[in-house]
Amino acid sequence: MKRNFDFEQEGIQVKKSCCYFCHQNCGVLAYVKDDKVLAIEGDPDFPTNTGGLCCRGNIALLHLDHPDRINYPLKRIGKRGEGKWQRISWDQALDEIAAKLAQIREEYGAEAVATAGGTQRTDDWARRRFMNLFGSPNGFHNSHLCWIPTFMIETAVCGWSPFEIDLANSRCIVLWGQNPGASNMPEMHHLSELKQKNGLKIITIDPRFTETAAKSDLWLPLRPGSDLALALAWLHVIIYEGLYDPVFVENYCEGFGELANHVEQFTPEWAEPLTWLSADLIRESARMYAMNKPGNIQWGVAMDQQGRASGAAIHARILIRAITGNLDVPGSDLLTGPSLEFITDEEMEANEYLSEEQKAKQIGADKFKLLTWPGYSKIAEMSKKYWGKAPTAEWMCEAHPPSVFRAILTGDPYPVKALLVSATNPVNSYGESKLVLEALRAVDFMVTCEYWMTPTAALSDYVLPIAGALERPTITSSYGCSDFLLASQRAIKPMYERRNDYNFWRDLGIRLGQEDMWPWETVEDAYLHKLEPLGYGSDSYDEFVEYWRFHFPERQYQKYLDKGGFGTPSGKIELYSSVLKDLGYSPLPEYVGPVENEIDHPELAKEYPLVLSTGNGFMPFHHSEHFQIPDVRFLNSEPYFQINPETAEEYGIKEGDWVWIETQRGRMKQKADVTQAVAPRVIITQRGWWFPERKMEEPDLAGCLESNTNVLTSTRDEDCCPLSGTWANRGLLCKIYKVDSTEQKEDN
Amino acid sequence: MARYAMVIDTRRCIGCQSCTVACKVHNELPVDMIYNPVTTVGPTGVFPNLHMVHIPLLCMHCENTPCVDACPTGASLRREDGIVWIDEKKCVGCKACVMACPYGARIFNQEKGIVQKCDFCLDRVEKGNIPRCVQSCHQKARIFGDLDDPNSEVAKLKNSHHTVRLLDELGSKPSVFYIYGLEARMK
Repeated sequence: MKRNFDFEQEGIQVKKSCCYFCHQNCGVLAYVKDDKVLAIEGDPDFPTNTGGLCCRGNIALLHLDHPDRINYPLKRIGKRGEGKWQRISWDQALDEIAAKLAQIREEYGAEAVATAGGTQRTDDWARRRFMNLFGSPNGFHNSHLCWIPTFMIETAVCGWSPFEIDLANSRCIVLWGQNPGASNMPEMHHLSELKQKNGLKIITIDPRFTETAAKSDLWLPLRPGSDLALALAWLHVIIYEGLYDPVFVENYCEGFGELANHVEQFTPEWAEPLTWLSADLIRESARMYAMNKPGNIQWGVAMDQQGRASGAAIHARILIRAITGNLDVPGSDLLTGPSLEFITDEEMEANEYLSEEQKAKQIGADKFKLLTWPGYSKIAEMSKKYWGKAPTAEWMCEAHPPSVFRAILTGDPYPVKALLVSATNPVNSYGESKLVLEALRAVDFMVTCEYWMTPTAALSDYVLPIAGALERPTITSSYGCSDFLLASQRAIKPMYERRNDYNFWRDLGIRLGQEDMWPWETVEDAYLHKLEPLGYGSDSYDEFVEYWRFHFPERQYQKYLDKGGFGTPSGKIELYSSVLKDLGYSPLPEYVGPVENEIDHPELAKEYPLVLSTGNGFMPFHHSEHFQIPDVRFLNSEPYFQINPETAEEYGIKEGDWVWIETQRGRMKQKADVTQAVAPRVIITQRGWWFPERKMEEPDLAGCLESNTNVLTSTRDEDCCPLSGTWANRGLLCKIYKVDSTEQKEDN
Repeated sequence: MARYAMVIDTRRCIGCQSCTVACKVHNELPVDMIYNPVTTVGPTGVFPNLHMVHIPLLCMHCENTPCVDACPTGASLRREDGIVWIDEKKCVGCKACVMACPYGARIFNQEKGIVQKCDFCLDRVEKGNIPRCVQSCHQKARIFGDLDDPNSEVAKLKNSHHTVRLLDELGSKPSVFYIYGLEARMK
């Protein structure tokens, strides 16, 4: 929105678009004339952001036509990573890519083609549809780090993940490893509102004193990675102080006796040295949640990112909700089930077209069963029986990403020859970056769909220009699992030769014999198909957006009363989980320490004495994006890590010093933010960093490893969560030392 | 005649700097120019007993205006509705106002050779809209309106909460009022 902008000038149209720089998809009004966006502002009528936009949202027009955007299909003509490209047509690119994929399928089997995705900002039901029809089970995202283990474990225990929080009627919310003050502005607004109006209690569990912690009633600065110990101790307090809901437990839960016996040992005193929290604070916080009912535990990524302890921690967290009866009653966490009113993403995926033989080849399915075909099939079947529909397979049922990168390098369990990358920069966003970078250098054939020439794009054989914010329609529906949806339209046609990712998969599919399976020419056509059963009678998707914009079904509480129980094999909340047991996992959350810790690994702790947490979000960036845009970059122009003054002094580190942070996997450097916000001995690094202002050439690739926190994370099989395969970003051990002023740039 | 003012509820501000960027984009400012910074105070205290507050800053649109008094060309003006603004055509870039402003709200634009600052988005307010920073704030930490209208949100908030004005002791009488956490709750 520029100064003196004339809203009422002739020929101007107001398009109901959305922000596309994180998953919230805040509503945006775009003022368009002659297919150009002249101005934008937050949509005051949109239910989530009510007119607000964060700093990223405000720079949409600078993103739209940024000089560094990729606008035409590019084909590599130099050596890999040399930065020599030829502009070609989409037809040529798609023809050549299709031919190459067909050849690989012929030679090595369809499973030799894998796809890597990023956050949920693409139409990835289309990616899954393409892959299913192509015959490969090896699609993946880094969504292991983001909600997917939570969704699947909670669904195993309860029959659906209770991710819909009924905040307006709540008295207490636990923000467990979540910082909406920097990652979810609409949520933070509602929290502030309800705190002021209703006296909502806010408990924040986070090793950092965050924007959100500063606004909370109680802050629990636990040791990074010790969430499981805290959750078990909460279960102990709630059960042994009699704070659970005996009626709900008696009537709707199975296995309470086993759980009570199991957690008897996990006293607050037991948890004290593991969590670095006093037993009193553990008791006080558990009581605050259990006695201020109804209440919520909001999902945050922290538990999804702890590697081997993730599954049990998530499991313990859902049990806390269950035994307090904070499930599906007004003000609690609601199990909505999938939408029965519109066509879900899962129904668009064509999962039935992938043969059992190919499903069995999914990389990682033998090791990590819950987020792969063995676990997903079981949960999908259970869900169909109870709700009538299954959760989305894309995201919930994927190849194990680190195992695919290793397969590229080793050929084990079989060769992976092609990687189709869409909306992700794996070098910076997947675990163990050095390994990922080696795999990207080694893979025979790589195609990247992107906005920018990222380090990953730079290593590709083809780079394709993708439509971004304001250029694409969007349906927002929580990974396709919500029973509601929000719909936004594109403000303008994609600029230059950019295309929707949907059209990439469709056009590639058509070239590979899938033409009968892609009846929807545009993504709007496909969306209209999804929405038709709602019965709004719109003739086009744009008409739906303009007249209706969203669909929220009426909230139904306590559905288990009408439905005769919950969607699990026993029809009850399975505190003692038969689904997990059948898959070969413990039916109760067993304690396991953080991936690296001073108690289990005293020798390691001598060399790496500090506790590391990586990966939390911070303004103004989203994952590894937006470093190109000076109008937000100035807010945080260099990478910083947090360190307590006491520890900084011990290491002779001052504010702003460049410091190497090193784990067993390698080292990277960031600048010191010396702050009381973290405990002594804790190091918290920023994620995502690369430097688009530098040369995008091998071997440096715009400094993609230099300050990249994922160099430090661990993806070894034994460090991954046995259920989900998620890897370890948090609860690691590290050492630090100042960057020598004479030291030259790190040669990686 | 309206009397425009802003209430900033620091209980709500999370320091996301959305207002800062919205303002820059709206006013098409060079990267190094900010009308509207958010300063973060803290975390203060010793871990784990900490406190943090974010204080958005902008032109205070004072009733008694040292900047206007200092301007030798008549470029700086205070309108009847309380908005202090700069007539860019008359500004010669002498920076006398920059020196006079106790809030550091005036910035010299190197490219244009003139001084600029927040004018409560005069262009929008004149058309009945709210300033860009107010609209952009997810947290609704900024409330803008007419103090003379007793039904306006800004008047209601000011009248029902203990508010403070920055450097009030100078007698500049800003039109920007801050609500702080604890004091406000006690009232």
